[in-house]
Amino acid sequence: MTGIVIAGAARSFGTVRAVDGVNLTVGDGEFFTLLGPSGCGKTTLLRMIAGFCELDAGEIRFGAKRIDQLPAHTRDIGMVFQNYAVFPNLTVAGNVAYGLKARRVAAADVARRVDEALALVQLAGYGERWPHQLSGGQLQRVAIARALVIRPQVLLFDEPLSNLDARLRVSMRGEIRELQKSLGITAIYVTHDQEEAMSVSDRIALMQSGRLEQVGAPAEIYRNPTSRFSAEFMGTTNLIEAQALGREGAGMVSLRPEALRLDADAPAGWPRLGGSVAHVEVLGPITRFDVRLGDGSLLKVATLDEPHRALAPGAPVTLAYDPARITVLP
Amino acid sequence: MRLAIPHQQRLPLAIAALGFLFLGLFLLYPLFNVFSASVLDGEGEKFTFANYVKILGRPFYRGAVVNTLAIGVAATFTTILISVPFAFALARLPVPGKAAIIALAAMPLVLPSFVSAYAIVLLLGRAGIVTQWLQSWGIGFGSIYGAGGIILVYTLTLYPYVLLPTMAAFKAVDVSVEEAAQSLGSSPRRTLWTVTLPIVIPAILAGGLLVFIETLENFGVPFVLAEDMPIFAVEAFKLFVGETAPNPSSAGVLGVLLIAMTSLVLLIQRRFLSSRRFATGARSAPPILRVGLGLRLLATTYCWAVVLLALVPFFAIVVLSFMEFRGPVLHPNFSLANFTALFERSTRPLLNTLMFATLAALGVTLVGVPIAYVVTRMRSAMASLLDVIATLPFAVAGTVLAIGFVVSFNSGWLILTGGPFIMVLVYTVRKVPFAVRSSSAILHQIDPSLEEASISLGRSPLQTFGRILVPLMLGGILSGFVLTWVTIASELSATVVLYSGQWRTLTVVMFQALEGGGGGIATAAASTLIIVTLLPIAMLYRLVRRYELST
Amino acid sequence: MTAAARALAILGLILTVLLPGVAAAQKKVVVYTSNESTLNDLVFGAFTKETGIAVEPVVAGSGVVIRRLQAEKDRPLGDIVWGVSRSLLQTNKALFAPYVSKNKDAIPVEYRDPTDLWIGNNLHLLVILQNTKILPADQGPKGWNDLLDPKWKGKIAFTDPANSGSAYATVTMLVDLWGGGDAGWKKVGVLFKNLKVLNRSSLVFQGVGNGEYPLGISLEYAGPMWASGGAPVKAIYPNDGTIASMEGVAIIKNGPDPEEAKAFVDFVNRKDVREMILKATFRRPTRTDLDLSSLPGGLPPLQQVKMLDYKEDAWTDKRKETLERIKDLIQESR
Repeated sequence: MTGIVIAGAARSFGTVRAVDGVNLTVGDGEFFTLLGPSGCGKTTLLRMIAGFCELDAGEIRFGAKRIDQLPAHTRDIGMVFQNYAVFPNLTVAGNVAYGLKARRVAAADVARRVDEALALVQLAGYGERWPHQLSGGQLQRVAIARALVIRPQVLLFDEPLSNLDARLRVSMRGEIRELQKSLGITAIYVTHDQEEAMSVSDRIALMQSGRLEQVGAPAEIYRNPTSRFSAEFMGTTNLIEAQALGREGAGMVSLRPEALRLDADAPAGWPRLGGSVAHVEVLGPITRFDVRLGDGSLLKVATLDEPHRALAPGAPVTLAYDPARITVLP
Repeated sequence: MRLAIPHQQRLPLAIAALGFLFLGLFLLYPLFNVFSASVLDGEGEKFTFANYVKILGRPFYRGAVVNTLAIGVAATFTTILISVPFAFALARLPVPGKAAIIALAAMPLVLPSFVSAYAIVLLLGRAGIVTQWLQSWGIGFGSIYGAGGIILVYTLTLYPYVLLPTMAAFKAVDVSVEEAAQSLGSSPRRTLWTVTLPIVIPAILAGGLLVFIETLENFGVPFVLAEDMPIFAVEAFKLFVGETAPNPSSAGVLGVLLIAMTSLVLLIQRRFLSSRRFATGARSAPPILRVGLGLRLLATTYCWAVVLLALVPFFAIVVLSFMEFRGPVLHPNFSLANFTALFERSTRPLLNTLMFATLAALGVTLVGVPIAYVVTRMRSAMASLLDVIATLPFAVAGTVLAIGFVVSFNSGWLILTGGPFIMVLVYTVRKVPFAVRSSSAILHQIDPSLEEASISLGRSPLQTFGRILVPLMLGGILSGFVLTWVTIASELSATVVLYSGQWRTLTVVMFQALEGGGGGIATAAASTLIIVTLLPIAMLYRLVRRYELST
Repeated sequence: MTAAARALAILGLILTVLLPGVAAAQKKVVVYTSNESTLNDLVFGAFTKETGIAVEPVVAGSGVVIRRLQAEKDRPLGDIVWGVSRSLLQTNKALFAPYVSKNKDAIPVEYRDPTDLWIGNNLHLLVILQNTKILPADQGPKGWNDLLDPKWKGKIAFTDPANSGSAYATVTMLVDLWGGGDAGWKKVGVLFKNLKVLNRSSLVFQGVGNGEYPLGISLEYAGPMWASGGAPVKAIYPNDGTIASMEGVAIIKNGPDPEEAKAFVDFVNRKDVREMILKATFRRPTRTDLDLSSLPGGLPPLQQVKMLDYKEDAWTDKRKETLERIKDLIQESR
């Protein structure tokens, strides 16, 4: 088991600095996620670790061993790809055995370990199937089994769930998290989906334009974003001038929709704001609505579903907010 | 400073280096020698353009250029004219026996075109069998000799080059595009003209280009049918191996001009295609259109008529090979004597043909597939350069490349003339562009993450190439192999310059037999070639079918 | 998938089986020949059968054969050059080794080298071929002069002299016959207006034999070859005269198999062998002791044909300019 150290990693494509001097330490056995919008450099960084992308500067170490100049096939990693990358010319068992055979594992051991790995991803008995006979979720399980079975030092996930439908995504991410924890392998996970990132990660590195924007545990980043970008990318938020809330200072503040409530539901001590309902969405367990304030700005509000209360667009409304949940942005 | 060569680029770089070495030695160097022969004076010392001035100053050779280009354009045009409706019918209309039509359509490629021309003369010449029969009914028609006959033979033998890609393109058209047009109020007919046809134009042009280049470099058909119309490839051949006055500098001039013409056409086509690439992501083939009985009958008749007409010379040769020839003279009696005579002489030409075609097709695969890998997986100026050089043989006529080989490898440190490998090498170089094209097409469809998955699991890039890419490409590689094999087995224009002694091929036997008046031997050799080349094609179809069923 | 892999393996296997073994026979002779394959196969087969010496033929047009000899001058790979014209043998004498053939005395002096560097085998007379089905026998031309008649326009098949030694000889002979110099060329120009200039001599006799053209200018042997096959073809020996172009054989200096080469030279000129060749391919022998009237083909004895004087060596020297002049003539007459 290994921790990962990335020091000063940089890579440009033409004039674009895809990864721009990243320093990062991932702990042994940690589930670490690179999160960010497309083009932020998260995939490039992952591919640097995997060995598919050369570094212009900096270095990467697994434990004490520097690996960034090793050929990719000698780095001892397990990688799971967005489009599964299951070899169509091999059976499920053939796919899972592929890395073992590359490592010259004895045939008897191969068979046993393949069966174990397939059982681990709930595909026991699927060994003789061909990839074209499997569903997307099953294919991704094969890919995961294939990456796990070689007991790599590091597991890399490159948006592994983005090709699956919404429900499957939610259950698979739980499984991945569980497997990783039970095996204790250090994992780096790339995604652009903040909910997914928050659900699986020990820590998240939020990336933008090739740089790390903020690194921390999911709740920490959510609750204490250090930048406007962090605040906006991690969930939904209201970015407003401090003065609009009647506060001191000239900067922007972030106020999460769930920190706002209707006047009637809020504790007495919370400050009040007046406005009118602009738009309502009943999403099931929660209801989202936008409120236009006197100065014309919009506030997004999220409350739990309340069947007896009807909010009609145009109706005047009074809001209250939790002053403790205001984050002042630099 | 980091490592000079990033490790993930070492394999492509190594392949590229080998590719440059191979093509440099066996393509650029011979071509350079052809070119330098054309710009040197009589003593081979001083640089001069006098040879060009001399050749182009002669109305005879200017006429040859005009004739060749005019025939090429006309044949390309007629080929497209008959192939596009044919392709549309096969892709979109209910025509019975489609599989059979497609299989039959590929058959003319098996027969060397000069043999087709010979058959056409026997059938439609001034004293041809069909001509005389028609005359007995009082029907006469113009001479088969000259431009008309050449265009006819080209059209009948080369139309699959346009038909097959165009049919594939019609099948790949996303039907929702058509539906969109119709929902906007366009009639089906207008939709065909304004939406569907423009989408398949690149495929039509790509096929048309192949036809055009074939006509420029073809030597057998005008040799038989041109009568006294000067044609470029024939004149180049005569200047080089002419009995009376071999003239390498003039032959070099013609060779360079031929390359210039074909390169120009190739560039124009690239230019045109790069500005209009219509990718349509069709998930499934568009449905067969519902049409009235009249149109259905018309389409069926048309398809079958074209495919059978194109096979007439083919069948004529097979029938003739079983008829009695007394010396060169044909008598209408059944006989197996042609075959006995053919094989009594020697089975070597047959074995040579099989061996050369197999070796060269292997060579083409071994050279073309790795180059395609570099070209598709590496994005660098070097990869583009390799692509351009590997496409160059497209533009080089067989005669010209063969001449370059003889000039280059007749003496010095590498002597190849007189042996079998010179032919294998020339065939390999000539067919490399086809392998690169077809392999690139397959590689574009293989997700690079499969390779990365394999590498991350511990296989080196080279092992990954062998264990993942090659198996995935195998179907395509195999069908490319067979097609290359077939076209090499019927090659004449380079062979006739290069063969020597015991290394005669079946096509050379045909050519020589027709020379010496041995029509019987020639047709027997042609029939033999047909049989041995149809076998691998049949095998291929079975393999591909089984392959498609298993995946 | 596995089926495909297996097929590839089978292909490889076939390949190894097919690779023709390079078995070295004990005795062999390497013959560079520009004769056509029927003649080659006939003679080589008989020679090997009689002597046990294997023949390794290198077949090519005479121009290519000679250029190859020149290229290999320092390290000859061949023993024999065969089927090459007198002028080419004469101009390349330096490449040959002298040998006094056993048949020397049967061959007239004009058909052998005084220093025995080469010896003639057979003669090609230039003739006019006529297809008697299209053009009744009595309506054909009698000689070269008759061919100038505009009624033959497009009806006479001829070979491009750039690709045929005999066609070259025909044109230059006619220039001499018709007055030489510009006068002769002018008349040849008139003739060219009537000619269809084909790419290869074989297309001429095929064309006449199959009835594509009523007339053709060709070599003597083509007439009986087609006639004996049953085609309505006859050879016209021009009443204004013709020439005989000779083909011969020579031993290549420093070749690998000198003894076998000598045996071959003796063999091809032996009386019975010449008779066999004449019967099968109608080649007129250089030796004069065969009774042509009793042999098939009906070749008339040389004494009965009007022969012209032809300055072969002079025309060989002027080849390049002459060919260019002919090319222009062809272009102008189209």
